[in-house]
Amino acid sequence: MNPLGLIVLPVIGAAAAALGPARWAKWTAFVASLAVFALSVVVAVQFPEWRTGNYWPNTNEGGALKAFGVNMLLGGDSVNMLLLLLTTFMMPLTLAGSFTAVTEREREYYGWFMLLEAALMLAFLSRDLILFFVGYEFTLVPMYFLISIWGGQQRRAAAIKFFIFTFMGSIFTLAAAIYVAARAADASGAWDFSIAGLTKFGSESLSNREQFWVFLGLMAGFAIKTPVFPVHTWLPLAHDQAPTGGSVILAAVLLKLGTYGVYRLALPMAPAGAVELATFFGVLGVLAILVTAMVCWVQTDAKKLIAYSSVSHMGFVVMGLFAFNPIGMQGSVMYMVCHGLSTGALFLCIGMMYERFHTKEMDAMSGLARHMPIWSTFMVIFTLASVGLPGLNGFVGEFLCLMGTFVAEHDQPAGYPGVMGPWFAVVAGVGLILGAMYLLLLLGKIVWGPLKVPGAHDDPHEHAHGDKGHGGLPRDLSFREIAILVPIAAACLGIGVYPKIMLDVTEPSAANALVAFPEKVNAWNAAHGKTAPAKVALQAQEVSR
Amino acid sequence: MTFAASMLAHSLTLAPGGGGDAAHASLADAPIVAATADPSLAWMGWVLALPAISAVLCALCAAFRVKNKLPAICTVLALGSAFALVLKLYLARGPGAAPVTVHLWDWMNFGWGGGPWKSFQADVSLYIDSLTLLWMLFVTGLGTLIALYASEYMEAERGPGYARFFFGVSVFLLAMSALVMADNLVLLYFGWEGVGLASYLLIGFYYRKPSAVAAAKKAFIMNRVGDLGLAVGIWLIWVNYGTVEFGALFQAFDDAARGVGGWDRSLIPFCLMLGAFGKSAQLPLFTWLPDAMEGPTPVSALIHAATMVTAGVYLIARMQPLFSLHPDAMATVGWIGALTALLAATIGMAQYDIKRVFAYSTISQLGYMFMGLGVGTAFGAAYHVFTHAFFKALLFLTAGAVMHGFAGQLDLRHLSGLRRVPGFRIVSWTMLIGCLWLSAFPYSAGFFSKDLILVQAMSSPRFQMLGWIGLGTAALTAYYTFRVWFRVCAGPVAYAPGDEDHGHDDPAHDAHGHAAHGDDAHGHDDHGGAFHPHAPRLAINSVLLLICAGAILAGVPGIQALRGEQNWVQEMVSNSSAVRAAGVDHVTEPVAFGMDPHKLVTVFGTGACLGGIAIALWIHLLDRRMADRLRTALLSNGLTRWLPTSMENKWYVDELYHALFRLPAWVTSHLLHFFDRHFIDGLLVNGLGRVPVAMGRLFQPLYNGALQGYAGTMAGGLVLVLAWVAWKWLGATGGAA
Repeated sequence: MNPLGLIVLPVIGAAAAALGPARWAKWTAFVASLAVFALSVVVAVQFPEWRTGNYWPNTNEGGALKAFGVNMLLGGDSVNMLLLLLTTFMMPLTLAGSFTAVTEREREYYGWFMLLEAALMLAFLSRDLILFFVGYEFTLVPMYFLISIWGGQQRRAAAIKFFIFTFMGSIFTLAAAIYVAARAADASGAWDFSIAGLTKFGSESLSNREQFWVFLGLMAGFAIKTPVFPVHTWLPLAHDQAPTGGSVILAAVLLKLGTYGVYRLALPMAPAGAVELATFFGVLGVLAILVTAMVCWVQTDAKKLIAYSSVSHMGFVVMGLFAFNPIGMQGSVMYMVCHGLSTGALFLCIGMMYERFHTKEMDAMSGLARHMPIWSTFMVIFTLASVGLPGLNGFVGEFLCLMGTFVAEHDQPAGYPGVMGPWFAVVAGVGLILGAMYLLLLLGKIVWGPLKVPGAHDDPHEHAHGDKGHGGLPRDLSFREIAILVPIAAACLGIGVYPKIMLDVTEPSAANALVAFPEKVNAWNAAHGKTAPAKVALQAQEVSR
Repeated sequence: MTFAASMLAHSLTLAPGGGGDAAHASLADAPIVAATADPSLAWMGWVLALPAISAVLCALCAAFRVKNKLPAICTVLALGSAFALVLKLYLARGPGAAPVTVHLWDWMNFGWGGGPWKSFQADVSLYIDSLTLLWMLFVTGLGTLIALYASEYMEAERGPGYARFFFGVSVFLLAMSALVMADNLVLLYFGWEGVGLASYLLIGFYYRKPSAVAAAKKAFIMNRVGDLGLAVGIWLIWVNYGTVEFGALFQAFDDAARGVGGWDRSLIPFCLMLGAFGKSAQLPLFTWLPDAMEGPTPVSALIHAATMVTAGVYLIARMQPLFSLHPDAMATVGWIGALTALLAATIGMAQYDIKRVFAYSTISQLGYMFMGLGVGTAFGAAYHVFTHAFFKALLFLTAGAVMHGFAGQLDLRHLSGLRRVPGFRIVSWTMLIGCLWLSAFPYSAGFFSKDLILVQAMSSPRFQMLGWIGLGTAALTAYYTFRVWFRVCAGPVAYAPGDEDHGHDDPAHDAHGHAAHGDDAHGHDDHGGAFHPHAPRLAINSVLLLICAGAILAGVPGIQALRGEQNWVQEMVSNSSAVRAAGVDHVTEPVAFGMDPHKLVTVFGTGACLGGIAIALWIHLLDRRMADRLRTALLSNGLTRWLPTSMENKWYVDELYHALFRLPAWVTSHLLHFFDRHFIDGLLVNGLGRVPVAMGRLFQPLYNGALQGYAGTMAGGLVLVLAWVAWKWLGATGGAA
């Protein structure tokens, strides 16, 4: 099946939602996004390259911009498929989560959402750098409007900051990519923006110094998008101000564009630069994990706490990516997907709470387990997934990212030497403790404790309302809201209990992404005086002695 | 393989005196029998599946607001069936069979070439040897009994709270079974954190009490500190041995024993130790366990006394082949154990809350177990785990019955003479058994198991000091244990009801508000003076008697060991990976006071026990005001004031941790938050954002306020300049580089 449908269908959905009657907009968009999900499942089922790491489909050459070297190359490998499924899975749930929250300018809201999905599909399906960039950049536009129209008090500032910050970074990314393309065009005589071609050229033909600058340029955009400490400050503000749906997609999918960019473009295209800068980004990853975790701990706003926790969690992904071994690499891909599920769900939960109480201040409420037992149950599940409890999804990625970092030494026996090593992992591992501290603080403040319902004292006749609480919503979750959260909870549990499927399919892709690394890492380590033989050899000698 | 096992069993049968010198000679380098895969035992997966199913059923009961005892029935049936399955396997295998692995399904399993260091294999598979079975038998057995007890104890909560409780218990049994039966360290880690989760949910069961919420959080976070140690240990093991599966690891340790290890290899046991100390509440991570008493008492009995807290002992016993390579690590385990035993006992002496006394006694007894592991007798440690599981569960359950009957009263100053209160006879006398066993009264199970550990300690000049600490602690133990019994069960009948309901989870109560609190729904909280204790009924009494019988029978292996016969626990340990520490290699020469270690420990241990009981008898039964006078005397003297004060305040360890860790972390967090908001975001980001505006003002007086345009222009220009510079520079030098 041609995956073009995955891009066209959301665009049609957007048009239908934006042009149709306002009261149908949400249903139009919801049905369209469901159709996209169904289509993506069909594509995933048909996808023949799950275990090979190859791209599919491999044939869509040509297109209007052929003369400029831009090909309509669509398709992906198993990692693209996973991110694609994550997007199409979260999208209908997010839209359904907005049904009662968004009551103004619905046509625009749902229209922008479907355009956002189209942009994401394009970014995750492009095998051409320019097309990828079009999708990558175009996500900013719907998000800008989603934040600035349906956001909170400071929505304008948040939207502008979000836009400018990420846009500025991606200009550097584009510049670096164009530099590689220009060098490639110099060498071959024709422009070609296919990611595979540029990756091959970049990793093989660019000098180490060029790779250093190319990598830095590419990372400028991706690091801001991820976000990596200290260029993360747009994220808490954007999350805080965005409407629930915007926050969910931002955390679940948009941030993954950054790490996907690192995985697909930055690392393979400029491996020598990546090795050179791995320690730097490793330190930033550790700082992200620890500093933002501690910042989380003193937040008073539940949504900001989760926003900061996103930065902390993405730090694990960064560590895993710069470990340069399959453990870290597969761990970070796992973590991308798992973070999307659990943090997305947490934002949904906070949104459901906000719709009822119109506050996110943790001090304003307490003991909601009594008031909203179903909501609290989900809140506990997703918090635990976020804490990285084994058996739920977060653990696999977190454990593997840290383990990958731990074994990323110059003399380690896995065949994939690295430049970080145990100390990075041990210091970052303190994040496991801090993560438990701030997430259990969140639970302890709003789910457990003596009952305190915000605004209840204003309304002495609350009991007269019966089960209907605020804004026409039932006191506890409605059927619609439960139906939104159950699939995510099931996915969290399923991945936690049987991560084997995902580990199997990411194995070949990770191996491809790493193909240039052992050699470059060894060269770098040799240049830095780390030339010890691998530990296995050492131990073999000891035994024979 | 079977030949080796039978040889081993043969040599053990000949061993005198609890596996004496002859056994020692054969044990020191006894082979660890390699495990074989046995797919025919896949039905053991039901031991994990049954609690999981019961957890799902309990969750459904909560969702459908089942108001009867269905969750308890599901849980008791599931746990009972799990126990039956474990028993079936034990009977089919006998204590001497070789270890087997059972692969259930692939979990975290991927590779880049296969084999050690080229793959990461952590599957949901089981490693079953005698040590596993020893643990599983008492975990599932006591789990079933305590769930039965809780079916009555928790009945005031019927409804969602009742289902939530049994959900927690089921999750706990699932995780604990996974921990004990895991065939690799990552699955063990799953169980390790899973029991932490169950503990979190159950300590915080009465979630409306802020103290319960705080205690639950504290338990989880302190355990996480240990878990980080365990995780680092797992990574180090993988780096050094290329696998995390026990079967392959035990063989790799044997190979490694011949080679030299790097510093990182000798760090492994210390990392694992940290995990063990967190889970088993040892120094420096012990302060969560007393607070965990906020949970319902059956939880305290099951999780925080009998089973979960022994996971640390299990881990070290399981990894004995590794620990035996590192004498320093063993010594550290021994010393930490001994010091924890002593410290916790001194705190336990000065607590007034019965459950807290028992909690500190748990920490103290766990200290003995670690001492046993450290001085080299996993047999003694495992036996102490086994006997302790019974008598400590018994003590907590009796305390629970008292609490249940007296509306939450647990202060031993407000309870007296319970053995004469109608309906509390069984409670009082089973508590007496528990107290005797805990204080190691001669010929009780607790005496035998503690004896083995102390004899082993006394036998080695290196560890003799630990033996004396252990004997001193034994005297303290006897004192504080009988302080409770003489105060609560003996003496004239007098009691005051507690003021605590059971933290109702029934929304109906909230509607009435807290005015209804005084005349509690149970009708046993009348402050008017007509208070009638709520005597335990069938489920509680029968469970008390059954566990009491178990505690008595747990002494049988001790008697056998004393008579130099082969005993069940030792056989179990010697057919496991802990085989090299499966004996007690006591020397026969005199070590002190002209006595050999065995005699020494018997004489001094008995003396310590009887002395402790005698002092308790004197100042807590015969002349109760004596205890107060003693305290007042100590407090009024400036030189001794610190002693009772600091003991009552738990040696200020909580305060110390607060000052050392929490407070600095809190201050740092606020500083970082300020730094993040005002420096990174405020100065750098927003400052940089203002540059284009300023430039716009400078170059274009007709400034129109569209910030994006300026920023975009500025950024674009910046990039062009930079790209041009880079291009030029690389063009000049890059070609050659």
